[in-house]
Amino acid sequence: MNYMPGTASLIEDIDKKHLVLLRDGRTLIGFLRSIDQFANLVLHQTVERIHVGKKYGDIPRGIFVVRGENVVLLGEIDLEKESDTPLQQVSIEEILEEQRVEQQTRLEAEKLKVQALKDRGLSIPRADTLDEY
Amino acid sequence: MFRYESLEDCPLDEDEDAFQGLGEEDEEIDQFNDDTFGSGAVDDDWQEAHERLAELEEKLPVAVSEQTGNGGRDEMDLLGDHEENLAERLSKMVIENELEDPAIMRAVQTRPVLQPQPGSLNSSIWDGSEVLRRIRGPLLAQEMPTVSVLEYALPQRPAQGPEDDRDLSERALPRRSTSPVIGSPPVRAVPIGTPPKQMAVPSFNQQILCPKPVHVRPPMPPRYPAPYGERMSPNQLCSVPNSSLLGHPFPASVPPVLSPLQRAQLLGGAQLQPGRMSPSQFARVPGFVGSPLAAMNPKLLQGRVGQMLPPAPGFRAFFSAPPPATPPPPQHPPGPGPHLQNLRSQAPMFRPDTTHLHPQHRRLLHQRQQQNRNQHRNLNGAGDRGSHRSSHQDHLRKDPYANLMLQREKDWVSKIQMMQLQSTDPYLDDFYYQNYFEKLEKLSAAEEVQGDGPKKERTKLITPQVARLEHAYKPVQFEGSLGKLTVSSVNNPRKMIDAVVTSRSEDDETKEKQVRDKRRKTLVIIEKTYSLLLDVEDYERRYLLSLEEERPALTDERKHKICSMYDNLRGKLPGQERPSDDHFVQIMCIRKGKRMVARILPFLSTEQAADILMTTARNLPFLIKKDAQDEFRIIEFMRVNLKELKIIPSEIIIELKELLDILASAEEMQRSVGLIEKSEVLPCLLSPFSLLLYHLPSVTVTSLLQQLMNLPQSAAAPAPSNPHLTAVLQNKFGLSLLLVVLSRGEDLQSSDPATESMQSNQWTEVMFMATRELLRIPQAALAKPISIPTNLVSLFSRYVDRQKLNLLETKLQLVQGIR
Repeated sequence: MNYMPGTASLIEDIDKKHLVLLRDGRTLIGFLRSIDQFANLVLHQTVERIHVGKKYGDIPRGIFVVRGENVVLLGEIDLEKESDTPLQQVSIEEILEEQRVEQQTRLEAEKLKVQALKDRGLSIPRADTLDEY
Repeated sequence: MFRYESLEDCPLDEDEDAFQGLGEEDEEIDQFNDDTFGSGAVDDDWQEAHERLAELEEKLPVAVSEQTGNGGRDEMDLLGDHEENLAERLSKMVIENELEDPAIMRAVQTRPVLQPQPGSLNSSIWDGSEVLRRIRGPLLAQEMPTVSVLEYALPQRPAQGPEDDRDLSERALPRRSTSPVIGSPPVRAVPIGTPPKQMAVPSFNQQILCPKPVHVRPPMPPRYPAPYGERMSPNQLCSVPNSSLLGHPFPASVPPVLSPLQRAQLLGGAQLQPGRMSPSQFARVPGFVGSPLAAMNPKLLQGRVGQMLPPAPGFRAFFSAPPPATPPPPQHPPGPGPHLQNLRSQAPMFRPDTTHLHPQHRRLLHQRQQQNRNQHRNLNGAGDRGSHRSSHQDHLRKDPYANLMLQREKDWVSKIQMMQLQSTDPYLDDFYYQNYFEKLEKLSAAEEVQGDGPKKERTKLITPQVARLEHAYKPVQFEGSLGKLTVSSVNNPRKMIDAVVTSRSEDDETKEKQVRDKRRKTLVIIEKTYSLLLDVEDYERRYLLSLEEERPALTDERKHKICSMYDNLRGKLPGQERPSDDHFVQIMCIRKGKRMVARILPFLSTEQAADILMTTARNLPFLIKKDAQDEFRIIEFMRVNLKELKIIPSEIIIELKELLDILASAEEMQRSVGLIEKSEVLPCLLSPFSLLLYHLPSVTVTSLLQQLMNLPQSAAAPAPSNPHLTAVLQNKFGLSLLLVVLSRGEDLQSSDPATESMQSNQWTEVMFMATRELLRIPQAALAKPISIPTNLVSLFSRYVDRQKLNLLETKLQLVQGIR
């Protein structure tokens, strides 16, 4: 904000560790090295972090170039506070497994719900058909 | 000789060699002559040849038109004519070619021959391209007023002669067929979007300025970023971006931050191309973040203060106020203030070779860099600016990948962002930020007035000011073409859908639909009136900004708008009398309408406003009812939403208990006064009404009171019940309004003893009736008024006896202590 008061700019965020949330739901953590006017980002030493419940796992990804339109939000990570988290880090395989299990339970629940609604004669239209409006 | 069966047979891409072939018959010419096989075999343009042919073809119709008397010339004759000309010219060419380089001679000689007569067909291809070029120029300039594409994409050339034709044909389209991205360097340098590599700030400026935002500027040399060395001497170079520092309170204690090696590198680099300094170099100097030039500042300024002048001519314009006969820096600290004030006041004036950053902004930027450098210095020393910063700097130091993005690249991005903020009317484009900042400033000004505390400097973003240009858009037209092009663009949109408004007949509609339509109409009217209102509210500001001549016109406009607002409110009926309140009531039923009326009232004349007030009073119970309905609607809405929020997707069955809980809490909220009060809109009308009342004469006030309490005209036997009054009294707004009216009446009575007896009689009658009614109402039904005027006790004391007075007091809680 100091650089241009009253505006939001990523220039002061350069070379700092950031957490970036993407539109597809991925969470990336890395050092923001470069930006441009579209908020395209260059992330260095990037790690993709997967959260399931209270556990998380990191997948090292290297250098990421993210197109600006796919960023939902990003925020600076305080390096000192980074480690006080109640979350538990686990290995990659474990977290991927957890993620798969979670996905499965969600799908099953969804199926049940849809079935129950159908039995009552209701239906929730699929989200993509609502995109017209 | 060539014989053309028809013109089409004429091979278009005939080149000179073919013409040369004619010479084969001439024995003087060697078959293996230079032109065909040797040095003279210039790969000449087919275009040139074609052009020649085109000229020939031109001549033919012209010749025809000249000889109209001769009737129909048949084709062969034309061709023969054509041939003759051709033959003549060819022979000329052949003879000449013996002597000198054929290419050159031809170019020189045939030009005048082939020169089209002025006024001949100007739809030839080559002319067309020129026209096209000319057309595209203004066209593109209009569509993108901030960019002058031709200047941008094409080298500047004065209008050239016919030699240009060939070039122009190549450039029928500007090189960039896509719209140029603001801020990106010219095409031929690098692809779109890459930051300039050549040089830091100065030619930076050049490049960024290439898409010129303003057309009103002093004539400038071609804006291409010429190779670094040619453009400016390093001296100039350094002085250009840093002249702003002339006014900068330069800390005298800035030691050179750079090691001698780096200084040399920088200086050497500045001579040629500074290029990228590798991260390692930066890492060596702890925390050095800054463009090479900025770093050179201390050295230069310290060393060559006097030699900074004269700055580049552009900077005379930049510091247009006192000429830059600058005293040495130490004297300057008070300088920047008036300096920059001047500049700011002349903001619309264009400063040619600075960036679009306002001088104060640039100053801030450099200040920031200064601070950074100072901090780093302190870090190395004993100073401690806080652990967080130091750890951050530590990280920067240890981070070998830091500063991959150069300062100039960061500047570049921020400049693009600033350019996006350009506006001709910041108050219009950036309303909220401007208002917010005004408020802040008023606050701090108020604080300063009260106490003599240190004034917090609030840095405000100063956006570049751009002169507004009026562009009259003219659709593209080609000379000689039949009709106009159907080109549809942003400025010239084409109608895509032919939507015709058909009003349906009344029989078809059901009652519901009619109601809905009526409501929609009311909403539309409200919106229209609201825009008028916003305009009217803005007039004050416009007065200040406008010139003297424009002001009467503005005043008229304003009056006119106010009149139309009033008409909208009351409904434009042809009859003089406005018998129906219906229109107004409809507007008042809608929350937005009520708020709008509250805002409009100050602008209306007393008469008009009184009319509004009367109408409101007359219809008050209905309005109260509608207001209450709105409340309930809001609460219902909230309750339903709460319910929805509670439905968790994964749960199918909602626990009944949970639902009951939600309802209970919603009802609780409903009962709480806060919520209800918030959703009531009528009270917003109270203050404008009270203000208005102070201007009303007593007659009006009397009749108003009558309306409000729905009192019969005469003091006949009162009706057993007065639902109108009841409703009024039970509503907060109604009661408050009533009290205010009473208070006003009292003021009038007491202050003006010379009132007509008629009026005062009327008033007394009304007051009697009023007090009677008030006494009847049970206290529990009364609402809590917003404010209670103080003179009511004296008012009532005149009309009722002691006992009843006490009763009234307690009822209306007129005495403060009872609360």
